[in-house]
Amino acid sequence: MHSAVVHLHVVHGHGSTVSVVLAPRAGDEGTEEEAHSETVSKDPGPIVPEMKELAWGAGSFIVLALLMRFFLFPKLKKGMDARYHGIRSSHDNADAERAAARAEVAEYEAQLAGIKAEAAKIVDAARVTLEAERQTTLAEVNARLAEQRAAATAQAEAVRAAAQSQIHAAVSDVAGRAGELATGRKPGADVVDRVVSEVMAR
Amino acid sequence: MIAESFSFPEINSILRWQDFFTSFNKIALIAVAAALIGIVVFLLAGRKDPMVAPKGVRNLAETSVEFIENGIVMQTMGKDGLGWTPFLLSLFIFIYLCNVPGIIPLLQMPATARMAIPMFLALLVWVIYNGVGFKHQGIKYLTNTIWPPGVPVALKPLVGVIEFISNIIVRPFSLTVRLFANMLAGHILLVTFALLTQSLITAETMQAFLKPMAVLPFFMLVFLTAFEVLVAFLQAYIFTILTAVYIGGSTHPEH
Repeated sequence: MHSAVVHLHVVHGHGSTVSVVLAPRAGDEGTEEEAHSETVSKDPGPIVPEMKELAWGAGSFIVLALLMRFFLFPKLKKGMDARYHGIRSSHDNADAERAAARAEVAEYEAQLAGIKAEAAKIVDAARVTLEAERQTTLAEVNARLAEQRAAATAQAEAVRAAAQSQIHAAVSDVAGRAGELATGRKPGADVVDRVVSEVMAR
Repeated sequence: MIAESFSFPEINSILRWQDFFTSFNKIALIAVAAALIGIVVFLLAGRKDPMVAPKGVRNLAETSVEFIENGIVMQTMGKDGLGWTPFLLSLFIFIYLCNVPGIIPLLQMPATARMAIPMFLALLVWVIYNGVGFKHQGIKYLTNTIWPPGVPVALKPLVGVIEFISNIIVRPFSLTVRLFANMLAGHILLVTFALLTQSLITAETMQAFLKPMAVLPFFMLVFLTAFEVLVAFLQAYIFTILTAVYIGGSTHPEH
């Protein structure tokens, strides 16, 4: 049976590592390699959970979770809900006011359309009345104009007939005289009249 | 000499921490700090006037509440699950604040890179979702769990074994290992590249070659640190959303 020399190694830095080195006593059989091969670490493996870390971690989380559940979250959420509710009410009020304003605008537009239609009806009626009056007045004026035109035409015709009669008489006189001078004999008045009438009629 | 410079420390020396005082080490400190920070943030947020637009700490708290409600609870459990918001919120905050110290100078150790906290949380979730299952479905929870609705009779023995192992045994194990292993791997990677950078800078031989080479692991260290920011959030989110899925599944057998 081998007796052993125990060396304790403490790893510097973070955490302690305890290594147990089993070395043969001088004179005993075995080599240094054998001694190293029997080095045993008492450290737990890196994936083994440590109770103190488990306890502190669990305790911390449970405290956080309980406070969050019964105090922190409800208080914050209550405030959030109150603000959201306020914002939602403001939105609802704004929507209601917008709807009311739109209704007023619609009513105003309806009234405006009615007034415009009434105005258009009045204007149309006035236009019809005016047109009728215009037509009447125009007919009267036209009739008066026709009457005046007929009187003027008759007057002009009378003046023209008078002038024509005077010209006829003058030309007959001149033509009778000219015939008398040319033939030495006074032509008959009816002949002269007939000739002058024929010439003036051309 | 170079080989000595590159030697990686014994794994426990980067994971196990000396006690500050009896049974209180860095992991315990981080766990307590995570809970305290969560409590203080929500305490301060609760004192602010709720009727004005939230900003600062209240904005942070309300954003996290809305994230849990809209991003997790409503997506996985629906409106009926809103009562679980405080628990899921606590879970998310606690895990995230235990993850983040992995990249905070001086701390540089995620508490979830140790087995204890992920294991406790996973077991707690296991107890809760099974308890919820029994509460809502009674003894039928067991049959509904191992034989989901619609499974052909011929397949029931096979499906029963698979579902029992999957739902009852593997879930807490996978929850634990997913969080623990991800954070441990990230921590070891950061340590590796930090030590490699230091070793190259302080190399006693071939200095002209090795010192400039230190830039490469240093950039990796910076990149991985940024990546760990994402991982810290992502792992907290995954743990929380899986918890919500499990609880939702226990509440409604058709899930």
